Amino acid sequence: MKQLLNKPLRAFAGYAFLILLCSIPAYYYFMDYIWISELNEHNRIIAEKTRYNLNAIANQDSTLAQMIGLWNKLQPNTDLQPTQTIQPDSIYNLYKQKPHAPNQDIDRFQGLVTYFSVQGQPFRFRVETNVEESYETILTITGVTLVFFVFLVLGFILINKRISSRLWQPFYATLQKLRAFSLDKQQNIVFEPTNIAEFEELNQALSSLIESNLGVYKQQKEFTENASHELQTPIAIVQSKLDLLLQNQNLTQEQSSYIDDANQALARVSRINKNLLLLAKLENAQYARQESINLSELLSDTVLLFTDYAEGKNIPINTILEPGVSATGNKVLVEILLTNLVLNAIKHNTGHGSIQIKLSPDRLVIANSGTTALLFEQLFRRFGRASTQTPSTGLGLAIVKEIATRHNWTISYEFQDNWHYFSLILTP
Amino acid sequence: MKLLIIEDEPALSKSIATYLAGESYLCEFADTFAKALEKIALYSYDCILLDLMLPGGSGLKILEELKRQNKTDGVIIISAKNALEDKILGLQIGADDYLAKPFHLSELTARIHAVIRRKQFGHSNLIKQNELEIDLLAKSVQVKEIPVLLTKKELDLLLYFIGNKNRVISKAALAEHLSGDLADMLDSHDFVYAHIKNLKKKLHEAGCDSYLKTIYGVGYKWEL
Repeated sequence: MKQLLNKPLRAFAGYAFLILLCSIPAYYYFMDYIWISELNEHNRIIAEKTRYNLNAIANQDSTLAQMIGLWNKLQPNTDLQPTQTIQPDSIYNLYKQKPHAPNQDIDRFQGLVTYFSVQGQPFRFRVETNVEESYETILTITGVTLVFFVFLVLGFILINKRISSRLWQPFYATLQKLRAFSLDKQQNIVFEPTNIAEFEELNQALSSLIESNLGVYKQQKEFTENASHELQTPIAIVQSKLDLLLQNQNLTQEQSSYIDDANQALARVSRINKNLLLLAKLENAQYARQESINLSELLSDTVLLFTDYAEGKNIPINTILEPGVSATGNKVLVEILLTNLVLNAIKHNTGHGSIQIKLSPDRLVIANSGTTALLFEQLFRRFGRASTQTPSTGLGLAIVKEIATRHNWTISYEFQDNWHYFSLILTP
Repeated sequence: MKLLIIEDEPALSKSIATYLAGESYLCEFADTFAKALEKIALYSYDCILLDLMLPGGSGLKILEELKRQNKTDGVIIISAKNALEDKILGLQIGADDYLAKPFHLSELTARIHAVIRRKQFGHSNLIKQNELEIDLLAKSVQVKEIPVLLTKKELDLLLYFIGNKNRVISKAALAEHLSGDLADMLDSHDFVYAHIKNLKKKLHEAGCDSYLKTIYGVGYKWEL
């Protein structure tokens, strides 16, 4: 994941790179232009001076031809030749090998061809001055530009870091608080005041959002709790009427079976109701009492409680319980958690299945035979249906998850070689 | 035996009374806090069934009032609020038992029976029924003065049946009695059958009449 601040950094660096890249030909063009104009001027000065000097010396006429020959020998960058007519000046630019140079060095020259007459004789004068080669100029400019670019980017990064740590500090503070927030703790967040308008607005918006959410959540919880309470009495009435009906001497077998079915369904309603109440209470942060629990003992008691039931279903329970494993938590809740896990393993077992329970100091693994993997995302959800097999309240594992979370334990599920593995990882 | 049912839900109190009828129980009713206070002040009962949520006040107040008046009536709290705190508080103030709604009438009856037994006979008592004799203190059973070895659960079931004699008890109620709060989580009550089979067999081998009848598809009945 990219950090927000790195995004403009990249854009800035890219833009800087583009501009600096464009500046290379611009610099070159201007530098070369200045060079060339300066050299043209320089060439012209030399030509002027040559003409003037020649005219001054040329009074001793006999020497003119000699002098010109000498000139051409001594001034390697110039060439003076008699010509027929005077023509307009011209300038040129060329690359050529340096005269008398030992290596094959190519140099760049700016040249001027001008015409003037000495003692009425027209002469063509050519002067060439060495200029910095284009590629050398470009190379140097590019090098310097790159160095500046590196400085620029380093600067950006540095500034960016300072901005992110200082300017964005309120944002990170808010984020930290949001992370620690949990609806079921029912505690509103107090954000640190900030003098940056956007962050202040964000905090205010978050505060009102959280407040309304807390309200809705509380209402929903109270609703669940009240609804469950209110349901208990009618369930009790129905239960008592079914019990009375059962006493009727003239019941046919069919009628009895109806009562039995009704009894079973009612037991399920009653269990769902109890579980809902339990969840509501869990979220209400009741059961705050914490104590050291001997998990080994509690677990073997729980297993013992189910021996009858498991035997009735022909499901052997094999336990490997390390003695003296303890954990800190609420005993009532941990008991419910263990009960639900063991019961789950018995209920959702296969025909000739078995159960393996292994308790070690850092984890509890309860495994039961199965045929197909369960839908993980449905497994720990309220009324989530992870399988279509045995009817259930759909709350047992949701309660397990809730209790585990409250104790900072993790519950995980795995399916391997026809075994369902439920692992409870205990963190001290 | 006199019973007071303090419960604001007439349908439920009527069910309880009907179930208990014919078992030498005389039921009286109070459906409000005020009526309940009036009744307990005027009369004594062998057992009081007390709902905690009453129009006009909390059932716990009635419990306190009973203590204040030094009444020795047995009290069983029947509450829709299966809250641990209420249960602990209720038992601390002096209730004899606590039963969360919903419950099976047979469970309630067995508990009423147990409370009254404790109140009437102190803490050592014998239950006698023809050739059957149960010593509650020693937790031993004799048939024609010959000891019968029963497991804890079998003895538990036997007492439950005797407390509910001549009543049909559903398997679900028995399962709930044996496994407590877990029962309604269990999808099969077959394990009840195993215990009952053993109990029947042991009693039969000891020469006890077969009072325990199986009502096919429904449950069981202790017939006298």
